[in-house]
Amino acid sequence: MHDGSGRIVVQNLTKQFGPVTAVQNLSFTVEPGSVTGFLGPNGAGKTTTLRMLLGLVTPTAGFATINGSPFGRLGQPGRVVGAVLEAQGFHPKRTARNHLRVYASAVGVPDGRADQVLQLVGLGAAGDRKVGGYSLGMKQRLALATALLGDPQVLVLDEPANGLDPEGIAWLRSFLQSFARSGRTVLISSHLLAEVEQTVDQVVIISRGQTMYYGPLDHLRKSQQSRVIVQPSDVNGLVTALRAEGVTSIEQLPDGRIAIAGVTSKHVADTALKAGVSVYGIQEEQIDLERLFFQLTSGQYAAPGYYVQQQVPPQQGGWA
Amino acid sequence: MGVMGNLLQSEFRKTITTGLWWGLLIPTVLLAFGWALGAGFVGKGFVDLASNADVEQLSDLLGVTPDQWKVSLFGIARSINIATIFPMIFGGLAISNEINRRTITTTFLTAPSRVSALTAKMLVYILWGAIYGLVIVLSVALGVSLSSPSSLLPDFEGWLALGIAGIVASILMTMFGVGVGALMTSVVGTTVVLLLYMLLIENGLQLVLASQGVDKIIGFLPNGSVNGLTGSVAVDLFLKSAGVVPSELEQVLRVVAGSMGAMDWWLSGLIFLSWTAIVFVGGWAATARKDIT
Repeated sequence: MHDGSGRIVVQNLTKQFGPVTAVQNLSFTVEPGSVTGFLGPNGAGKTTTLRMLLGLVTPTAGFATINGSPFGRLGQPGRVVGAVLEAQGFHPKRTARNHLRVYASAVGVPDGRADQVLQLVGLGAAGDRKVGGYSLGMKQRLALATALLGDPQVLVLDEPANGLDPEGIAWLRSFLQSFARSGRTVLISSHLLAEVEQTVDQVVIISRGQTMYYGPLDHLRKSQQSRVIVQPSDVNGLVTALRAEGVTSIEQLPDGRIAIAGVTSKHVADTALKAGVSVYGIQEEQIDLERLFFQLTSGQYAAPGYYVQQQVPPQQGGWA
Repeated sequence: MGVMGNLLQSEFRKTITTGLWWGLLIPTVLLAFGWALGAGFVGKGFVDLASNADVEQLSDLLGVTPDQWKVSLFGIARSINIATIFPMIFGGLAISNEINRRTITTTFLTAPSRVSALTAKMLVYILWGAIYGLVIVLSVALGVSLSSPSSLLPDFEGWLALGIAGIVASILMTMFGVGVGALMTSVVGTTVVLLLYMLLIENGLQLVLASQGVDKIIGFLPNGSVNGLTGSVAVDLFLKSAGVVPSELEQVLRVVAGSMGAMDWWLSGLIFLSWTAIVFVGGWAATARKDIT
């Protein structure tokens, strides 16, 4: 029924809700043994993609597989993939233990597993309370406990940090990392890069239903660009001199300064000296990961099918 | 235990881990018992009246023997019919509540397929329909036995026939509810529509149809046909033991049994089964294909 590889494949996935295209031709692969962050702003299509992966939403085009098989053909899906999609999937009058026992039956694991996962997520003492009285953070933990019932190989989490306190987030982070280190697969979505930055090894960044970047987070880190802001005595003179050296990404700022990307401040200062242009002020500005994420997802690079796999050398920093 | 056994256990646990099953069973018992008790008194009053000297002369003239009429049969049928409202509501919440509470997501994530999850749910609700039906029949039996002299009560065969008809009606009403709930997907909407239709709209429609002289159509409507299932069993049993009954009286008896315009019990049963199949298959198809967003 499935190949046991732990691999998630999303291929040319498209979903249209009436006139709205929620997901457009999305492709990426998630490998086992690592935590993959699935990032994009709210409304980018993350939840729809995850729900298509889990067979809850039918794709308009394309396909998604877990262990080489569509969700509907996994046989016993609860033993292969666990999902935390929302913290609301509970009957408020049912106790947490009974909730878990209901689904322990469906997955085909003994009732004792319900108590195990309650302990695992730190709800051991609250197991006999009705879920209606739970806080959002407790519901998130119970949702995770439900996902873990079948001891799955693949874990899919949609914004699991919502409602968790800092302690809960730290706990979740270490839990997911150890889960992945045991050779299993974790796909976790978030609209905040900073929230998952310390958890994930790989990232898939989407915007407006399309893939903007996918690959190791380290590559993205290395591609953090720096730009040099300079205030020359003669703007045109400096721009001409830089262009002559093949530097093209030059931008005039509203305050009269110019910003040059992909060069060091030393380079700019040397060029200015050679061109006989005085430099009144020069500073190097680093674009951090969060800003890069914002640029990736604000549509700046939103050409269809464009993958940002660039490898810009890390900035050298400091004053020239 | 196989996959289907697991799912059946899961679905059954869902129903017993919230208070809905007994929350609806209490009014079911009270309504079934109360109606049967009251109907027993009304039946006894009728027979007492028919047995008094003046009326007896008229009866003798007509050649009928109303003091031997097992009028409690009609009370039993009507009490069963009214009480099956509750298993219908119980069924109505089966899927709509899961969609409303969003537990349907986990249900579909833990089942091999939606078809298997829905099949397990269907079987569990058939069981619940039977449980409610049995409780209804027992409550009705208790109520009518307390208020009717034993001469007016059905014999064992009669109890068996009515009991089976009651349980089948309760199962079908539960399934009808499941289908409507799956189509409507809203808890409040399902409850309101089911109650309004079964208690008000169709009864009004029945009066209109009867006044237009087309009361045969009533037997084809959902409520008319399910009432016909139990009502016609009661009428058949009544006629078997009543001695001489003028043929013109038969339609009147069906009205008394609460099944105006009804066909034979088996035909009524098939007609309501068809209604149930239509809403159930519709609700099933909608749920099996629905995007769970």
